[in-house]
Amino acid sequence: MPNQAGDAYALTTICPLENDAHQDRSVATVIRQRLKDLPLHEHSPFARVPNLYLCRLFVLDELTYQGSPARLDRLRSKYLVFVCDLHGPLDPFLAGLWDNAKETLASIFAFCVGFKDVRDGRTFAAFIEKCQLTTTFYFNGSTDAPLAEQLKALYLKQEFAKFAMDHQGEKADALQRAFADFVKRVEPSNLAGPTWRAGASTLDAAEVRA
Amino acid sequence: MSNIAGKAYAMNLVTPIRGYLAPLNKLFFWLVGTPLFKSRLQGLLTLSMIHYARWVIVRGDEFPRVEEHGQGEDSVYSYMFFFSNFNGTWEQYVDSFSAAIPSGLDLLWYKNVGWPKAVPELPFHAYVEHNQITTDYYYNAYPMAASNDVKSANKVKDALEAFVTSTRGATPEEFLGQYNRLLKSLQNDLSQMDASPIVSLASEAIAKRRRDGDRSNRRTTTHGT
Amino acid sequence: MSLLDAHDIQGNILKGYGRSAYPKARYLFLQVKEAEKARQFVRSLVPSVTTSAPWRDGANVARPAVTTNIAFTYHGLRELGVPRDSLQSFPDEFAMGMKARMDILGDDGASEPANWDPIWQSEVHIFVWLSASTTEAIDGKYRAIVALLEAAAPGVEILRGHRGPGKQDDLPYQEASALYGPDGTPQAHEHFGYTDGISNPFFKGNTAHEGALMGGGKVTTAPPETREGWEPLETGEFLLGHKDEACESPEAPTPSLLARNGTFMVYRKLHQNVGSFDAYLERLGAAFPGGKESLAAKFVGRWRNGAPLATFPSEKEADEFAARWAAARAAIASAPDAATRDAAKKRFADLNLQFTAFDYAKDIDGGRCPAGAHIRRANPRGALEFGVTGAFETPGAVSNRRRILRRGLPYGDSTERKDDGDHGIIFMAMNASIRRQFEFVQQQWMNYGNDFRLANDKDPISGNHRTLNGTPDGRMVVMSGAKDPAPPFFCTQLPRFVEVRGGDYFFMPSLTALRLIGDGDIDPT
Repeated sequence: MPNQAGDAYALTTICPLENDAHQDRSVATVIRQRLKDLPLHEHSPFARVPNLYLCRLFVLDELTYQGSPARLDRLRSKYLVFVCDLHGPLDPFLAGLWDNAKETLASIFAFCVGFKDVRDGRTFAAFIEKCQLTTTFYFNGSTDAPLAEQLKALYLKQEFAKFAMDHQGEKADALQRAFADFVKRVEPSNLAGPTWRAGASTLDAAEVRA
Repeated sequence: MSNIAGKAYAMNLVTPIRGYLAPLNKLFFWLVGTPLFKSRLQGLLTLSMIHYARWVIVRGDEFPRVEEHGQGEDSVYSYMFFFSNFNGTWEQYVDSFSAAIPSGLDLLWYKNVGWPKAVPELPFHAYVEHNQITTDYYYNAYPMAASNDVKSANKVKDALEAFVTSTRGATPEEFLGQYNRLLKSLQNDLSQMDASPIVSLASEAIAKRRRDGDRSNRRTTTHGT
Repeated sequence: MSLLDAHDIQGNILKGYGRSAYPKARYLFLQVKEAEKARQFVRSLVPSVTTSAPWRDGANVARPAVTTNIAFTYHGLRELGVPRDSLQSFPDEFAMGMKARMDILGDDGASEPANWDPIWQSEVHIFVWLSASTTEAIDGKYRAIVALLEAAAPGVEILRGHRGPGKQDDLPYQEASALYGPDGTPQAHEHFGYTDGISNPFFKGNTAHEGALMGGGKVTTAPPETREGWEPLETGEFLLGHKDEACESPEAPTPSLLARNGTFMVYRKLHQNVGSFDAYLERLGAAFPGGKESLAAKFVGRWRNGAPLATFPSEKEADEFAARWAAARAAIASAPDAATRDAAKKRFADLNLQFTAFDYAKDIDGGRCPAGAHIRRANPRGALEFGVTGAFETPGAVSNRRRILRRGLPYGDSTERKDDGDHGIIFMAMNASIRRQFEFVQQQWMNYGNDFRLANDKDPISGNHRTLNGTPDGRMVVMSGAKDPAPPFFCTQLPRFVEVRGGDYFFMPSLTALRLIGDGDIDPT
């Protein structure tokens, strides 16, 4: 299945936009404005979506002309491009996406052809699937673990490195006690927390306490 | 607009392929995915700059058909969409690929209209710049982690969990011995992460304006309460 | 005929002047006040400008007692009347200058431009520097240049405002000097005690000796101890108008005569906190298994005598090597006849190669030379292929375009071993692209670690380590050797040992271009 590399899933959707303007502004302008106004990083609505590694949105206005002797290609409509890298499978991801970000999705996708039929998670998934393109080749240069595991792993790497540095050269019994406290604090197998907050771009914002 | 979310950069390229060649390009990608061509990917894996990347080749009539927009596109060319999430600056990425795996790039962009070849670099830069489309919104679940960090973190997590299990009930001396072996086995994985270095002066200026804006918004809120 | 027109290329590029022959230098920074008079000054200086033509006994170019070179900032070129078309064809980073690039360079905190020597608060236009073996020789040339400036008055002024010994902060020039040994000879050491300037890039057209290829060129897949292990870099990595490592001519200003045989130069005054450095080594060295000297070596990747860790992992091996080297040098001097002398010279040259002709292929994990050691960051020599032979088109694929020519000298006196005072290194680097070469190394390799799979770790010596809540925050992982069961050693709370005190970006034109600038005769039409 070319959309997958292990459990990592490449969702590529290009959604045709209605050609109308909205309140005297082109639909592309309105969408760009709404995207610009979305909060970033840990405040992003996408930070609440389970198993979403990365996603991007942009408006495709036109096809780029390559210059003569290439032929000029024109699109019949503009597209909203929505690209996600996620821990699959797709169906539960889309359900989680809708459940956690439906207001954002409704605002951003409002001018996409066919979005007016979207009422709930099921109809949203049907809409996305209509706009989905099949990946020709997907390269996974990272891992395909569930996001919660990746975030926990990042938290543990950071905390364990600090532990190792803080306790360099310690005597065996003191070290063993300190490590027991460390394990109690970081709970290595508890994915719920403590862990790293999805989307956090600074260390100050990163830690989610248990 | 921003192509940047922490240590990740979102690149979008949409490039034309002559329709009759598109199946050949698809065949190349299929081949690259087979074990026979795994060595072709060795360079990509060693560069280790990419979280995830994808190539999507579509004919005009394969563009989505939704309701009244039922006809797809009637474009002359097929189009290849390339979406990459990479670490580092634009030039670092583009230059690394040009220098490290040029023949791989030439294969993947085989006969794309206007493709100049991956070497020399300046025409290749110009091609990428010409065809790149700016991301309007980019989200990254781990902005402080490069692909290297994610992979290393998984290794640390696995080793740590195994260590916790294996040292249960150990004497302090046994514990210390195993602990030192653990550190040794992780000695290339214990550097700490932090916020990304700036990717460009322009993107840093935008981020700073946003940060300042957030601060003044917060101040306003505080005054109001 | 040689590959390059050495008479058209300024000196110190094709070959470094070298600190044993030219241990003293003086750096002058000028401001243009009136364009035509300033061009007159440039024209009058041209006959003094030292070129890259090789110096041979009895040949037509004698080794000068004092060298003179000149370079310009973007603002300087503008004030000298270089046309707008040409100005706008220069790269952005050069046009912006070093101060405006502080966020890329990591020049924050103590290194912020506001804390630089007062001269850098003015707009610098022209850079003239002199090198010689004695201060007297420099004084003589300096007076000659002052006379040229007076003859062209009020075209150009010398900017004052360099800090110096004591509380001086309005000196008209920056002095630099090699450090001298007890026997009164110039040494290769800098203020932290490391032998400096050992390895420099070797490129096509270099007039350095052939031996410099091994270790100075780019790595091949052959063993680094062999001649086949190295190839010269393309000239265009260091000189505009020539083929570079991407098989093209580098990005350059127009017209091509303005660019060809020119290069971009970075000048940076780097203060060294020797007190903090000594104290840190003393404190952590006591806990480090190999002791203080070993830790000092792990920071840099070389023992302080210059022997590389990749080849000499123990202090004993490094000391034995140093003894062999000293004996070989002495053997040349004491050789009774020509044949013995030639044999001794050959042995000495072979030993010299061991300083440079190595790589990290057998040390990917960093057990000998830590992955984050200074010289491994500054010049990874193929280590970025991480032992996956054949992964890249060539082992140095992602580092061959990041090389810089280093031509610096120490300044000041650090015998009191305190942080305070005016001592450090004048870092000078030449490259075809400041952005792709110097700035990249500075931002991605000195102040960050991802390319080495070291997350956000910085260079232990020159990294811009932060202070968090009053505690220095730098870190370094010193990996333990492959067969050594010991855990890695962690250096924490590394303070910032090196701080920036000034600098800018300069264009160092060819003699042809220099005449065009002086004549006001540049036409990009």
